[in-house]
Amino acid sequence: MEATKILVVDDSKLIHKMFDVMLRPHNLVHAYDGQEGLHRLAENVDVALILLDVNMPKMNGLEFLEEVKRNADLAEIPVVVISTEGKEEDTDRALKAGAVEYIKKPFQSEDVLGVVQRLAVN
Amino acid sequence: MASKPQARNEHVVNELKETISRATTLLDSLAGEARGEVSVDGDEERIRTLQERLEVAESDLTEISTQLVEAENQRGRLMNLYVATYQLHATLEIEEVTSTIAEIARELIGAEKFVLLLRDEESSAACGVALAQGLEADERSFFGGDRYVGGDAAIDAALEDGSLRTRREPGSCAIAVVPLTVQGSVVGALAVLKLFDHKAALTPEDKDLLDLLAAHAASALLAARVYSATDRRLRTLESLVKLVQ
Repeated sequence: MEATKILVVDDSKLIHKMFDVMLRPHNLVHAYDGQEGLHRLAENVDVALILLDVNMPKMNGLEFLEEVKRNADLAEIPVVVISTEGKEEDTDRALKAGAVEYIKKPFQSEDVLGVVQRLAVN
Repeated sequence: MASKPQARNEHVVNELKETISRATTLLDSLAGEARGEVSVDGDEERIRTLQERLEVAESDLTEISTQLVEAENQRGRLMNLYVATYQLHATLEIEEVTSTIAEIARELIGAEKFVLLLRDEESSAACGVALAQGLEADERSFFGGDRYVGGDAAIDAALEDGSLRTRREPGSCAIAVVPLTVQGSVVGALAVLKLFDHKAALTPEDKDLLDLLAAHAASALLAARVYSATDRRLRTLESLVKLVQ
């Protein structure tokens, strides 16, 4: 599998560890809130995909997503929202803000692997 | 070097590809014969044989697909267990261990409402509420703010007999109760009160995770408590030494 750079923005250390194991061939960049996510993006302009949580301290996932879509240099990076928020309006809000996919936690590993394969590798 | 599960998966995928290739060849052959040359008597027998072989190939394909799905599920289950165990023992800070227990409950199991109860170090009769997430006002009052003094049948029973409960019982608001046990002593319990709306029910994989929590969460908490107490004593001693000097 071709390795690509993926930014993971989530306040859960458990989820970061999970992605470390699940997405082992890929090069992961880690951030624990939206603000840190923006800093990491500025340092890693070749990120191919962003996996984003919603509920986070300092800057939440939707605010982060809006910032990314406002920036012309970053707007083309596909963003997949992965959240425990499972209501239809949560999904709609994220998709309207520019997310390409919405995965509900707890997730099956093949859901994430499929999205990564489709959006970051192909 | 490829890992064993990866090598097994590759083997299964290769078998699957070969089966599909054989089935395609058979189908092409049958289609070609159906278009024209079915005039000789022996051809009917040959078609019947080919159809039988095709049925066998299709059956193999179904079985291999089932095995592939099962292997994927098993991989996901083992990954969850590995990550949960790793993260529980990755720190000696009580707050971080508690936070990891909460993350396992919320992110891996899909618990929207849960409480973590820990027996007091001095008096084992009462439990402190170490963590409560998503509780409504009436549920908060039931768990007495930061104290739990009993009253929920399943939680009380789990604290008493140390048995994992993974279904709702009469007289209980919990859908699962995980006793936290160290060397045969129950030092607390995690009670799952509600799952997220998009999570229908606990799965066998969730039960594996709850079982893991029962064994590992308590030892991780105990290690963190011992470390914290030792660290406190060390600091006190260092302060005394500085005073004497």
